[in-house]
Amino acid sequence: MNTGKKPEVLNINKLSKYYLSYGSLFNFKRNIIKAVDNVSFKVYKGDIFSIVGETGCGKSTLSKLILGLTNRTSGEIFYKGNILNYNLKKLNLRKKIQIVFQDPYSSLNPKKKIYKIVSLPAIKNKIIKKKDALQYSMQMLKNVGLDEDYVFKFPHELSGGQRQRISIARSLSVNPELLVLDEPVSALDVSVSAQILNLLLDLHEKNNLTYVFITHDLRLVRHMADTVCVMYGGKIMEISPVDKFFDGPLHPYSKVLLESILAYGPKNILQFADAGNININNININAGTGKNRRGCVYYNLCSRRMDKCINNEPDLKENGDVQVNCFFP
Amino acid sequence: MSLIIDNLTVKLYTNFKKKEFFNVADSVSFSIQNGEIISVVGESGSGKSFLGLSLMRLNPPYISEISSGSILISDTDGFEKIDIVKLKENQLSDVRGRLISMIFQDPNVSLNPVIKIGDQIIEAILAHKKMKKKDASDVAIHYLELMRIDGKARFNSYPHELSGGMRQRVMIAMAMVLEPVVLVADEPTTALDVKTSLQVLALIEKMRFEKNVSVLFITHDLSIARNISDKTIVFYAGQIMEYGTTEDIINSPLHPYSISLTKSVPALSKDYAPRERLFVIPGSLSQSDFKSEKCRFYNRCFKRSKDCLNEIPLLKLSSERFARCVNIQ
Ligand SMILES: Nc1ncnc2c1ncn2[C@@H]1O[C@H](COP(=O)(O)OP(=O)(O)OP(=O)(O)O)[C@@H](O)[C@H]1O
Ligand SMILES: Nc1ncnc2c1ncn2[C@@H]1O[C@H](COP(=O)(O)OP(=O)(O)O)[C@@H](O)[C@H]1O
Ligand code: SF4
Ligand SMILES: [Mg+2]
Ligand SMILES: [Mg+2]
Repeated sequence: MNTGKKPEVLNINKLSKYYLSYGSLFNFKRNIIKAVDNVSFKVYKGDIFSIVGETGCGKSTLSKLILGLTNRTSGEIFYKGNILNYNLKKLNLRKKIQIVFQDPYSSLNPKKKIYKIVSLPAIKNKIIKKKDALQYSMQMLKNVGLDEDYVFKFPHELSGGQRQRISIARSLSVNPELLVLDEPVSALDVSVSAQILNLLLDLHEKNNLTYVFITHDLRLVRHMADTVCVMYGGKIMEISPVDKFFDGPLHPYSKVLLESILAYGPKNILQFADAGNININNININAGTGKNRRGCVYYNLCSRRMDKCINNEPDLKENGDVQVNCFFP
Repeated sequence: MSLIIDNLTVKLYTNFKKKEFFNVADSVSFSIQNGEIISVVGESGSGKSFLGLSLMRLNPPYISEISSGSILISDTDGFEKIDIVKLKENQLSDVRGRLISMIFQDPNVSLNPVIKIGDQIIEAILAHKKMKKKDASDVAIHYLELMRIDGKARFNSYPHELSGGMRQRVMIAMAMVLEPVVLVADEPTTALDVKTSLQVLALIEKMRFEKNVSVLFITHDLSIARNISDKTIVFYAGQIMEYGTTEDIINSPLHPYSISLTKSVPALSKDYAPRERLFVIPGSLSQSDFKSEKCRFYNRCFKRSKDCLNEIPLLKLSSERFARCVNIQ
C-alpha cells in the first residue's frame, strides 16, 4: 500500500554486510559470507513492512545494520532523508529507531531491576532525569499492559511474555517512530504470542508507529503487514503488497514459501521430503549461494531456472507495484 | 493396535519428604493403531513432554513415578505384548529403541557431540542386533539416505558439522534404524524454520507410510498437528481435554480450551480478517491447576458455570470424539 503519498521513513540503498569466516577448525582458508548482499528497499510512514525468509538468510543481520549494531560493508541507510551514520553518534536520529529481539530471556540484563532496564535508554537520551526513572517506568509498563508493581522485580521473576512486554516498553521509552521487531513472538507460547501481537497492533494504531517486522512465519505476515519482503541468501527476492502476495506471488521462491503454509494434511506434506535439499549432481558453482557465483543465488533450488540464470545475476525489477528479483517472474 | 495406554497416572513430587505431589499425567487413556499418527497439543507446561517420557519410562527418577495404569505395546505381528509399566529397570533397554523410541526438540539430548554420526547409528544397531559391523554400517547408510542425507559422505561427520535440520534428520534415522513399533516425537521441529521443519515432518510422514510406524507427535502448534496427524489430543494440566480426528479438532473444536487455542493464532479460520485482534486466553497455566478439584481449565474458561466445580469426566461424544467439559451441547 505504498501509494507514494505516505512519507518515506527508511530508505535502504545497496546495503551489504559480509562476514569473514573460517571454513572449519582445520581449514584455515578464509571464506566470505554475504549475510546481506546489495539490498535496497523503502519503508513508508505508518506501514508494517515484514521481512520473511528461512534461517540464515540475513534477516537479523539486516536488523542489526538498521540499528547500527554492526558495521556495514557498503551501502547507505537514510532515515527520513538524512543519512544514518552511527559512527558520529547522532543520538537524536538513533533514538527514533528501536529494536525488540526474539529472545526475551537474553535481551534483558538479569542483574538490574525492571525500572532501571526500562528507563535507561530514556536517561541516556536525556528524555528524563535519573530521579524520574521510577515514575517514568511505571507509565511505560502501563502502556504495555503490565502492572506497575513489576518495576521492582528482576527479569528472572517474570514469564516469557512479561519479559517481551518489558523489552517493548524499553524500546518505546524513547518515543521511537520506527520499531524493528526481530521475531518478537517466535519464542512464546500461543496465548502469550496472541497478547503480544495484539499489543503491537494497538501500539501501532495509537502511536502511528512504523514497523519492520521480521518473521519466518507467513501466517503472521498476512495477519500484521502491509508489505512483504522475501529474502534468500542475503538478497531480496520479492517485495510485494501483502494482499497481492497471498493472491499469488511472482518469485519462484515466494511460491515455495506460500505453498508450504497451504500444505495441509499428511498426504500433502509428503511432497516436502526433499525441500531444501540440493541435488549434489545438479549443483552449479557459478550460481547459488557459493562465494564465487556470478548467477542467481536461488539457481540451485529453482524450478524455473534457465541457462541465462547461471552466469547472469537478476536485479530487483519493478513489475507494477511488485518488485521481483527474477528473469522469469 | 500397536500401543494401548490405559489410565496412566504419573506423579510428580514437588516436595518428596512431605510427600507433596501432583499428577503430571492424570488417568490418560488412548491407543494408537499401526501406522497412525496422533498429535498431542497444548501450552508449555501442560505435561506433554512428561507424557512422552513416561511412555519410555524416561520420566525423571526420584521426583516422578508412574503410580497406576498400563502402557501396552505389541509388535506388528501381535506375537509380543509387553506392559512397559511392569518392566524391570534392566529389561527396559531391550524395549527402548527396538519397540519404542523417541526424538527430541534438542538433538543434543540424543546425539553425542564427540562421536561421528555413522558410528552412533551403528552403536544403536549393535546394542540390539547381532550382526557384522560392515552390515550395520550398510543399514546406517541406508537410513541416512532415507532421511535424504548423503549417508556415505556424511558418515564420518560430527553432529556440530551439520545444520539443525540435518541433525534432526540424523536423530530420526537413529530412532528408526531398529524399525520400532512406536516413535515418540517431542517437538522435533520447534527449533527449525518453516521450510526445514516441513522437510522433517514430511520424512516422519514417509516413515509412517513406508515402515508403518505409529507416531505420538508432541507439539504446541495446531498447524503442525494439522500437517502431520490423523488424530489429535488436546492436553491441559495433565489431562486429555479433547480427542478426535485432527480435522474435527481444528475445524469444529468443542472443548472451550480447544476453541481458545484455535482462536489465538491467525489464519487458521476460513473467515479470517487481518489485524483482527486475536483471542487471548486469560491468565496462565500454573502447577496448582494440576491439583484443582474443579475443571482444570476453570480459571481461564469463557464458558465456566457452577456445574464446573467438580472433577469433570472425559465424555464420549461419538466413537471418535471425546471431550472433558460439562457445557458442550
Ligand atoms: N557475527 C557473525 N560472524 C560470522 N557470520 C555471521 C555472523 N552473524 C551472522 N552470520 C552469518 O550470516 C548469515 C545471516 O545470518 P542472520 O543471523 O542474519 O540470519 P537470520 O535470517 O536472522 O536467521 P534466523 O532465522 O535463524 O534468525 C548466516 O549465514 C550466518 O551464519
Ligand atoms: N525435571 C523436572 N523437574 C520438576 N518439574 C518438572 C520437570 N520437568 C517438567 N516439570 C514440571 O512438570 C510440568 C509439565 O512439564 P512438561 O511435561 O515439560 O510440559 P510441556 O512439555 O507440556 O511443556 C510443569 O509444571 C513443569 O514445571
Ligand atoms: S467444564 Fe466448565 S470450566 Fe471446564 S471447560 Fe467446560 S465450561 Fe469450561
Ligand atoms: Mg535471526
Ligand atoms: Mg515439552
